[in-house]
Amino acid sequence: MATFTKIVQISRAVNNVTKLFTNLVLSQNINSVRSSMFIQRMPTFPCSLIHTTSKRNDLMEFFDDPKNWDKDKVRVGRSWRKDELRLKNNEELHKLWYVLLKERNMLLTMEEIYKREHKYFPNPERIDKVEDSMANLESVVRERNKAYYMLETGTTGERPVTLKYNPLGLRFRYRLRQYSRPKHANPEWHKTHQFGYSGYAVAKFLRLYREKLWNEKRKSRNRQINRVASLMRIFPNLDMEAVKEQYPLADIEKVKKLRKTDGHFVRD
Amino acid sequence: MSTRWYPLYQKGNPQRRVFLPNFWLKLVKPEHNQPKNILEFHCSMEMTKFDVRNYLEKIYNIHPVYVYTRIALGKTYIPYGCKFVVKDDDVKIAYVTLPKTETFTFPDIISKDQEDVNAKISQNLEDNFREFSGKNKTPGFPSWFSHS
Repeated sequence: MATFTKIVQISRAVNNVTKLFTNLVLSQNINSVRSSMFIQRMPTFPCSLIHTTSKRNDLMEFFDDPKNWDKDKVRVGRSWRKDELRLKNNEELHKLWYVLLKERNMLLTMEEIYKREHKYFPNPERIDKVEDSMANLESVVRERNKAYYMLETGTTGERPVTLKYNPLGLRFRYRLRQYSRPKHANPEWHKTHQFGYSGYAVAKFLRLYREKLWNEKRKSRNRQINRVASLMRIFPNLDMEAVKEQYPLADIEKVKKLRKTDGHFVRD
Repeated sequence: MSTRWYPLYQKGNPQRRVFLPNFWLKLVKPEHNQPKNILEFHCSMEMTKFDVRNYLEKIYNIHPVYVYTRIALGKTYIPYGCKFVVKDDDVKIAYVTLPKTETFTFPDIISKDQEDVNAKISQNLEDNFREFSGKNKTPGFPSWFSHS
């Protein structure tokens, strides 16, 4: 008898699973349950996973949920990660962008209210989280754009950039743009976009600036050499590979010959 | 093209569309008394009247009758005891007029009785201390130091 009941139970369980699958596909008869015994053992159908927020196109969308108004702590989840956003299609991303946009507007409105009342805005990191999500979303869209353009045209489709010199003689990335007039017929452009440098003062500035940069570089190298030398003095059996990895600027063969590297003993 | 970079518009080209707008809009309490159908918004500096109208219509389903924008200069002041001048950020303010039939009153988010929270905490602290000091047989000693 026991085995018989067991078999019946197993068959019921199998039925249960198959029913779940059919529900997953069709999602029509979610609530149809045959026997009362079934109800207790049946796992709750993952209906709760599907959230649909009611659409409220209203001015109250600029304010937080009324139940959060008096709280000093509002607990929220983390921001969207890039990996998660990569799984979404473009339409979903487009929808999510507007959700995030509305959320940010709401948070900014609430922040302003608290600011005017000289009160602490509860959990201000919510704004950062939303902005982080938005930045991630945009970068994912940009990735797709790039991939599409590389496939179709062989270029990235990004805004083109060239290196130019500013009046101080420093290089910067000049972002190109399209003009309705050609360059030779556009004197205003030449007035506002003067590249290149000249003059004694600029040359002097550049000389001193380069000297400063070089000094920084030299000092950091010397610091590393001294550090390696003192390490060698204290620990005679050093792992040189690890040292090389940690202090890449120090020339180890050179450091070995230094007086600083020798300890207070006579070498063989 | 990247999401924020458009080619120059030439006649006959398809209309340029913004798919991911990054404008923000804050609904603020009006500084001065206004008619009930006028809303005050702070918006991003780049937004124009048309942008504000489109933003509200397309995203929030609010249909304004008239939109007016102005840029309010930030205050310039010398902080107390300092020898420099500070200027607050400029803000763009949009005054949005709703149809006559619609009204909006700014909700009271921060209720007045919320101020009592701090008083309640300090009162609780005081009570606890009184209870503790009443029971304590050896005043001046920390609570973990006890002799039965």
